[in-house]
Amino acid sequence: MFSHLHKWTSSRTLAAPARLFSQTPIVPAKPLPPRLKINDADISISYLKGTGPGGQKINKTNSAVQIIHKPSGVVIKCQATRSQSQNAKIARSLLADRVEAQLNGDNSRVAIKAAAARKKKASKMKKTRRKYRELGEGGKEGEVDVEEEDEVEIIWDEDVKEEKGESKEAESEIGSEAKSAGESGKGV
Amino acid sequence: MRSRGYPLQYILGDQPFGDLEILCRRGVLIPRPETESYTYQAAKLLRQMALERKGTSNSPDQARPLRVIDLCTGTGCISLLLHALLAPHFQQLEITGVDISPTALGLAQENLEHNLQLGQLASRAGTDIRFHRADVLGYDSDSSVPSIESILQTKFPNFGTLDALPPDQESGCDLLISNPPYISQREFRNGTTARSVRRFEPKLALVPPYSGSGMEDCMPEDIFYHRILTLAFKLKAKLTVLECGDSHQANRVVALHKRLASAESGQFSADVWPIREQDLADNGFHVTDGSRGVIIQTLR
Repeated sequence: MFSHLHKWTSSRTLAAPARLFSQTPIVPAKPLPPRLKINDADISISYLKGTGPGGQKINKTNSAVQIIHKPSGVVIKCQATRSQSQNAKIARSLLADRVEAQLNGDNSRVAIKAAAARKKKASKMKKTRRKYRELGEGGKEGEVDVEEEDEVEIIWDEDVKEEKGESKEAESEIGSEAKSAGESGKGV
Repeated sequence: MRSRGYPLQYILGDQPFGDLEILCRRGVLIPRPETESYTYQAAKLLRQMALERKGTSNSPDQARPLRVIDLCTGTGCISLLLHALLAPHFQQLEITGVDISPTALGLAQENLEHNLQLGQLASRAGTDIRFHRADVLGYDSDSSVPSIESILQTKFPNFGTLDALPPDQESGCDLLISNPPYISQREFRNGTTARSVRRFEPKLALVPPYSGSGMEDCMPEDIFYHRILTLAFKLKAKLTVLECGDSHQANRVVALHKRLASAESGQFSADVWPIREQDLADNGFHVTDGSRGVIIQTLR
């Protein structure tokens, strides 16, 4: 810290007016509401077994996890991965989102994120339309300036959790895949 | 390949087990989710027992490591998961995985290194966990495989002479855990055992060898339990956890333990786990059928 300070002062005295870098952070337009903490006592986790017994005689892995949030009655089922403990983790975060959405409605994390995504998409569509409209009018420059910015709201999320939406999609995809694989195994 | 019932885990090469990633290969049994469940339960019980001991005596055995023996370890999944679960709570751990199959032992060692690399195991796991080749049943006395006794003697210097000693804190093992072969010849053939398992997983890990004679007082599929329970008495195991094929077998094991325990001093509790319907569902066991655990605790 001291050496820093030293450098700074010396550079100031020696060199002609030091160039100042402005380091103002990009202020998020709207911070997301905090993640909801789900109380362990409020949920019951069950591991959905496929039909039939387990153990050495059968090798039918079913890693599906179902969480029920008792106060709200929300049920989340997750079989995104082959690991039960990972599925439980994913299901927990999905449950937190769902319960929070119920509580806060339009002001919930999910709703805000969805709204931002919608806005972004609309703006993109608008730009595309404008581009082709101008092209259609026979703009000579060939390249049309699309750099013009529509204000897109920046959403600030402390921990990057963009996969969240994806994992939700993966849930259904992988889920059905695993199911079909299990069935083919059973059929033989 | 899958259409012929070839296990997915052999194709993908691994199977999640708790937070670990267990490598799977032809010739070694694939870890099952029930095994994962009772391993968690065993770790929970060990922690409870340690807390109780700390409460009663002023922890004179703080310096003593927690000793765990995992017989018929296969991929090493139980040993590794136990280390992952217990390492944050016990300063010293000694986990011994035993198997007869060199293929399994090679894979177990690989799994240890693999999960160390993934960061799922504390670095001390490399020295805390040891895998040894031994024959748990010890039928072929002339074979090149060392007997389980010879391995245990190196781990427990007073093993065998232990009978004379009171069950103290110093010697003996804390947990004897095993998922031995337990399928009967009949159930292996009659369709109870899935075709995929029958055709692609090692029979060595599923069906106990035919003993011929010597163990008249138990069914041929239960011979491993007879052997392991006898070892548990010799080791003064404070906790014994065994996987059984179904609730009938689990009840037979409890009865067998009662018979064997009558000749021993000490009090034990032997229970099928899970037994309550809610516990079964919560821990991923099938309600009416399927594998069960047997948990034996030495009370005094």
